[in-house]
Amino acid sequence: MRPIGVFLDSDVIISSLLSSTGAAYLLIHDKKIDKYISNFSVQEIKIVAKRLKINSAKIEKLVKKLNIVTIKKPFQKNCVADSNNSHIVNGAITTKSKFLLTYNLKHFKSEKIKRDWNVLVYRPAQFLQYLRSLD
Amino acid sequence: MLQAQVYTPDQVAQILQLNKNTVYELIKRGEIIAKKIGKVFRVPAISLSFTTTGLDNDLYVAERQDLKLQPMIKKELSRARKAL
Repeated sequence: MRPIGVFLDSDVIISSLLSSTGAAYLLIHDKKIDKYISNFSVQEIKIVAKRLKINSAKIEKLVKKLNIVTIKKPFQKNCVADSNNSHIVNGAITTKSKFLLTYNLKHFKSEKIKRDWNVLVYRPAQFLQYLRSLD
Repeated sequence: MLQAQVYTPDQVAQILQLNKNTVYELIKRGEIIAKKIGKVFRVPAISLSFTTTGLDNDLYVAERQDLKLQPMIKKELSRARKAL
């Protein structure tokens, strides 16, 4: 089976760095998934990681496992409840990902994103459950 | 008195809307975790967590782990996004 492309919100990345028993960690270490983040994500992940005192070597190691896409402003703002999250939607669109995975479902207009861009917005565990249905 | 937290294969078949033989097959293949007591099977409620949470139990537990962290992550991520 070809790896499935997913775009990851930064909360998923940070979660995987903070817990090795959570769904985000399982997702990040699943080799059947092509994981994408953007240049903006990298910046914010580094800021948040520093504030949460996460070892920077750990972040660098993780980021190397991910595909990083460069996105530019302006971003789609009509698909989010909070415009500060708009770069995440742009990342998913740019990478042509079928899934956008986040712990912040409320901040994304999932129906509109699905209708306009054919991207499904899920939590990591929901996506992992979906993968099991394909086995 | 202890509340029943196990089901018979018949009850599982009803809950999952499956044929009883399919339930036995799923137990045999390990897709439904059950315990054989004497000659009968009993299925713990935890094996059917999918019916209430939409997730297999291991994924449900893993998600709960991450959800505990989200208020702290959300706060810091929101600060970082405003600054960028």
